[in-house]
Amino acid sequence: MSHPSDDEIYNKICELLKPYNPKNHPINRSSGIMSDLEVDSTAVFDIIMGLEDHYDISIPMEMVSDIKTVGELGNAIKELTAEN
Amino acid sequence: MTQLFDKYAPLQARVDMMMKIGQDALGVKFDDIISATRGRIGNREILLAGTNNYLGLTFDADCVEAAKTAIDNHGTGTTGSRIANGTYTEHVDLEKAISEHLGMPSCIVFSTGYQTNLAAISGLAGDKDVIFMDADAHACIIDGTRLTNASTIRFRHNSPEDLDKRLRRQGEIEGGNALVVIEGMYSMFGDIAPIDEFLDVTHRHGGYLYIDEAHSYGVFGPTGCGIAEAQGVLDKVDFISSTFSKSLASIGGFCASIHPEFEITRKVMRPYMFTASPTPSNVSAALAAVSKIKQGGYLRDNLTSRAEQLHKGLSEMGYDLCAAASPVIAVRRPNEAVAAMEWNWLMENGVYVNLAVPPGTPQSSSLLRISLSAAHSETDINAILSAFQGLKDNQGSMMQAMAAKMQAAE
Repeated sequence: MSHPSDDEIYNKICELLKPYNPKNHPINRSSGIMSDLEVDSTAVFDIIMGLEDHYDISIPMEMVSDIKTVGELGNAIKELTAEN
Repeated sequence: MTQLFDKYAPLQARVDMMMKIGQDALGVKFDDIISATRGRIGNREILLAGTNNYLGLTFDADCVEAAKTAIDNHGTGTTGSRIANGTYTEHVDLEKAISEHLGMPSCIVFSTGYQTNLAAISGLAGDKDVIFMDADAHACIIDGTRLTNASTIRFRHNSPEDLDKRLRRQGEIEGGNALVVIEGMYSMFGDIAPIDEFLDVTHRHGGYLYIDEAHSYGVFGPTGCGIAEAQGVLDKVDFISSTFSKSLASIGGFCASIHPEFEITRKVMRPYMFTASPTPSNVSAALAAVSKIKQGGYLRDNLTSRAEQLHKGLSEMGYDLCAAASPVIAVRRPNEAVAAMEWNWLMENGVYVNLAVPPGTPQSSSLLRISLSAAHSETDINAILSAFQGLKDNQGSMMQAMAAKMQAAE
């Protein structure tokens, strides 16, 4: 998949977050994935694997540890897909 | 202004909830440990079914005698690391015994199982290498990767196909290698890796396979070498690590390799170089246990029979079990509160299992985790089954009691 738009990436992240957000916390780009949405660390990595497969990219764990918000995750995917 | 411990407020709320339901499942205090399968709290004898004492060797006469003799001969502690204080004959003897057992030319022992994976993974993976790690890998593997400057990619649990896809996606690793890290038997669900398939994928891509057999060394294989031996591929595995604190009934760990060059990592592994080496008594108890393991077919047979007995009994009661019969049997519960309530009921009725909750569990599951021992008798398993039947029969009164406790606490 080549160069998806910001909105497409954001919508995909929201779709993958949905099953891990049973309390239906509102999601926006500044939402803290673990702090606001209460997604635990194991689930974060499951979501990451889903994004890796969807965009055919590798998101290494050391990069994930620097990502706190939905927006930052989107930016990381944007950069990695641009490299492909 | 925030206080230092404010960040733990959500965790404290979970602990408070658990304490309203009963006692702290992660901080049980035993007044006595009587045998490999029995403890005591107050006047109540507790059947131990959650201590990873797979072969039941903690009170074995030969292991106990070996530890006592080592203390008499060489004292209670090493007071430093092997690079500072030197190597004891016990360290050399144990490394030689495990090397021979696994048929691998290199073996290094460490002070704990946790440190084993921290040390070995951080020693093996350099800046340009890429680590591929199973999604359900233990915390010490994850922490080991964090001690490296290597890139780390997770692959889907127990899926050689997914590993293959991610290795292909990574492509050529310029100036480095792929280190694939899996476990033999996974500690939470008790499920087993298809090592033969992982070997094929890893080596096809030119990588190295590292297997943590912490829960399987001593427990599987004709001579107890673990899952790789059971699957007939031990001689092809690049690295095998394990702990002394489960089937070997001591404390410490080892990593062994078919590559003699592994020895050089003694000069770079910080969790090996900058911590005290294992004590003569711990190492000697583990050495005695290795010889028990080699001849321990009868122990493994008993363990297998008990696992099948318990798995069958729980399945017939309708419990949702996370994997096929193995020495670890995890019962999936609907949520953390129910699991905590049931864990307390089991304790009050004399059975100790593990309460396992997220994020320490796969799939964010809440579990009553049982680990069996070769020292368990058929009668012990019947007692565990009877307790789990009691859980089912007393759900109504348990729920009422929990509601009353929660109300009283508010």
